[in-house]
Parts: sequence; structure tokens; C-alpha cells
Amino acid sequence: MTTELITKETLANGRTYIHRTSAHCETGVTSALFRDKGLDISEPMIFGIGSGIFFGHLPFIKQTGLPVSTFRSIPGLVFKKAAKRLGVKVFRKRFRNQQKGMDELRRVIRTGQIVAVTTNIYWLSFFPRRYRFNFSGHNFIVLYENENGFRISDPALLEYTTDCSTHDMERARFARGPMEARGLMYYPLSVNPDHDIRKACITGMKDSCKQMLKIPIPLFGVKGMRYLAKKVIKWPDKLGYVEACRQLAHILRLQEEMGTGGAGFRFMYAAFLQEAAELFGSEELAELSQEMTAIGDIWREFAVVSARIIKQRGQSEETFAKVGGLMLICAGREEQLFKDLDKVARKLKA
Amino acid sequence: MKINEVPQDDVPDYSEGIKKGNYALDDKGKYVMVPSKGWVVDEMINRMAYDEYKVKEEEARKAVLAGQKSPLAYYMELRQMTPEILGKTAGIAAFRVKRHLRPEIFARLKPSVLGAYANALAITTEELITVPKNPRER
Repeated sequence: MTTELITKETLANGRTYIHRTSAHCETGVTSALFRDKGLDISEPMIFGIGSGIFFGHLPFIKQTGLPVSTFRSIPGLVFKKAAKRLGVKVFRKRFRNQQKGMDELRRVIRTGQIVAVTTNIYWLSFFPRRYRFNFSGHNFIVLYENENGFRISDPALLEYTTDCSTHDMERARFARGPMEARGLMYYPLSVNPDHDIRKACITGMKDSCKQMLKIPIPLFGVKGMRYLAKKVIKWPDKLGYVEACRQLAHILRLQEEMGTGGAGFRFMYAAFLQEAAELFGSEELAELSQEMTAIGDIWREFAVVSARIIKQRGQSEETFAKVGGLMLICAGREEQLFKDLDKVARKLKA
Repeated sequence: MKINEVPQDDVPDYSEGIKKGNYALDDKGKYVMVPSKGWVVDEMINRMAYDEYKVKEEEARKAVLAGQKSPLAYYMELRQMTPEILGKTAGIAAFRVKRHLRPEIFARLKPSVLGAYANALAITTEELITVPKNPRER
């Protein structure tokens, strides 16, 4: 049941690429890019080292007219941070000219170097139609050219490699609108063989603690959770039941649907803490991993209870006060967890 | 979340057979990657968002047939765009796009402008001047 799904592909220069399923696009892509350069690192490790875990309520950024609540750091940041902390030199470029962007992609993959691209999901016809929203922030890896266009590896959504037509690729990479990718492509140039994974883990943990606890704006980190939880409780009175359900559904979408591996990345972070615990031989980290799992389970309960409210439209026994309360519990426990993690990380020896 | 708690709900209309990766604990308490067939919660949330677009698309189609809007309005909704996004894609200022949503102004557009819109919307110019008689399936 838990067999790891692996597909192999041969690249332009004869090297072998291994496709593995991941839970999220950016971390999965980063892990695959680094592995391809000989740095064997798992997806949760990338997530932890790149300090991907976060919370932010962004009422000023609207998606389909609804405020965005994010459970992760800004797209692109995990890759940048993980690369820096692991001593990986990277190439990262956007293009003004569409033709140049496509030519450069073709040139690089012909050398056998795999390339990650950022795309707009709406234009990717290999996706199920109900996944295809106008959202520019999906990453996948281009392997080589073939008669259908390009052979690609999308670790977050597909268990196997697939084809992407040239038309789809052009439209998706150069789609206009919010967060437009402008043909962004990136890949590692070289990996420092003397990279210090322990030091990278410690840096990543400390940075995450800072992001979750120390940002002096009440919309981010644990404070953001509390702020949103209090808003959720008031929604039915303030917005009316239907609109309140719509807004609640939007939180769930960002928590569960968009390739988060469930529970808004909390399980992936628990997996990172577990791997780090083994790396450092630290009992404390293992305990924190268990606590993170427990928090992830509460986030899941939040999703289940919210879904019940939305589905039964007022007929349900569940209330907005209850889901808001669950979010406050998550906030309290995450606050304690990151405080403890900060202490543990300071004691660890690189 | 343990392996047996990873949702394995049948939602073929949504997932189309595609599985998503989840991290879950095996019986030794170790995290492993578990592919999930789908989750009804996930499916419901997705359907709400998807249906919102479908409703907008269908409203636009009816408005075009009633002569209140130009076909451009329908195709813009079909591509989940706004006048701003469509304008950027076609290289036409957003205020002009908004004007072109009116049928009487749309009817006088030059072929070059229609071509730019057709390109931006990934349809042919012939398609752009009409809308489907019946609602699009699903």
C-alpha cells in the first residue's frame, strides 16, 4: 500500500531521471532537481530546510474575490532558501520575450539538464479539468522534447511522467494576470559536495520559529491564526450565512486542496522533524514531530467540521464558533511547539 | 494521520483517477508517502469554486444571447479572465476591453483587434463572433 511509485526516464544526454510522487509542487520539484545533481534529499527535508511552514492571512490579496489565507511561505522562497542553505548554486530567470524563453528552455534540456518551470494551471490540459483554475504558481520539471512537445515530470500531481504540448507550455509559462510567472525557469548549476545538512536543518528550524512567532504584524504566524479564528467566529453575523460559508470554503481550499499533503503542510513538517530527529539522534525533536502530527490532526478536524457546516447550510449542529475554536487551539499549540523548537534548535550541534 | 486514515474516497469526476501524495504514519510511527484516491471534503470545496466559474460562464452566455453583452464577455469568463487579464494577454488596454464587452461596440471591431482577442482566448475568429446555443457540458 505504501510502495513508493517510481518512473524512470532517459534524458537527452543519456542520463536517467527518476520520477517520485510528492505532496507539494515546489518542494517536490526542488527535491527532484537536487537529487538529479546527486544530492539525495527528501521532500520533507527540503520543506524544513527551506522554512516552508508558515501561516498568513492576507485580506488585501484577493483570489476570486476572496481573501487568501496561506499555510506556507511565498512561492519560490523554499527553493531559494533550501538552495542557499545547502550550498547549491542555481540558475533562475524570467523572460520578457516569449520566444527567447522557449528557446532557452529547449537549449538547456537538450544538454540533458532538467529544468523546473512555473506555470498557470488553467492552460495545462494534462490536468483534470476541475483542477484547472487561473492560478500562476504551479511548478513542474521539463525533461526533454518529444514528438508531442515536451516530456515532463509533475511530482505533485501525477504518479507518472507525462507529455505537455508546446501550445500548453507556451500559454502556461507566459499566462498574464496575478502572480504571472513570465516564463520563470530554474535549475541547480552545481551542488557543494561539502554541504552541511545538519547546519542547514538548524538554520531552517530557527528561521521557521522566527516566521511563526516573531513577525510584528498580527496577520502572520501564530498571531495571524488567532486573528483569522476570531474573524471566523464573527462571520455568520457579519457576512450572513451563505457568504460566511463561501469564505470558510476558501480557507479549506488553501488548506487541503492545493497540494498541501493534507492539513495545510503540517504533516509534511512533522515528517521533516522526524527525519531531523534521526539525523541528530534527538529525542526532543522526535517528540516535537509527534506534537506536530497531533496539530495536523486538529487542522484536519477543522476541515471536516467546516465541510459539515458548509454542506448542511445551517442545519448542522456544528457552528462557526466551534471551527474558530479549533483554529485557536491550533494557534495555541503551534505557538508552544515553535517556542520549544527554538530552544531545541539552539542546543543542537551542527 | 495514520496510513489507514488517509482518505480513499471515490470521486472520479474530480480526480479523474489521479492520486495525491499524503504524508502519513505507518504502524511503526514512521512517516511514509501514501497516495490518496481522493477526499469528499476536498471534492466539495473544489466543486464550490468550480461551480462559481460555471455559473458566471452560463450567465455571460445568456446575456450574449439576449443581446446585452458581446461574445467577448462569454469567452472571457470561459477562460476565467477579467478585463485586466484579457487586456494584458491581448495587448489591449483594460478600459477598451470593457467597452468591447458591449455588443454594439464589439460589432464594429476591426479584424486585427478580433484576431488579437481570438489569439488571447485560444479560439478562432469565427468562434469569437458567436456563442454556443446550448450550455457547455459540465
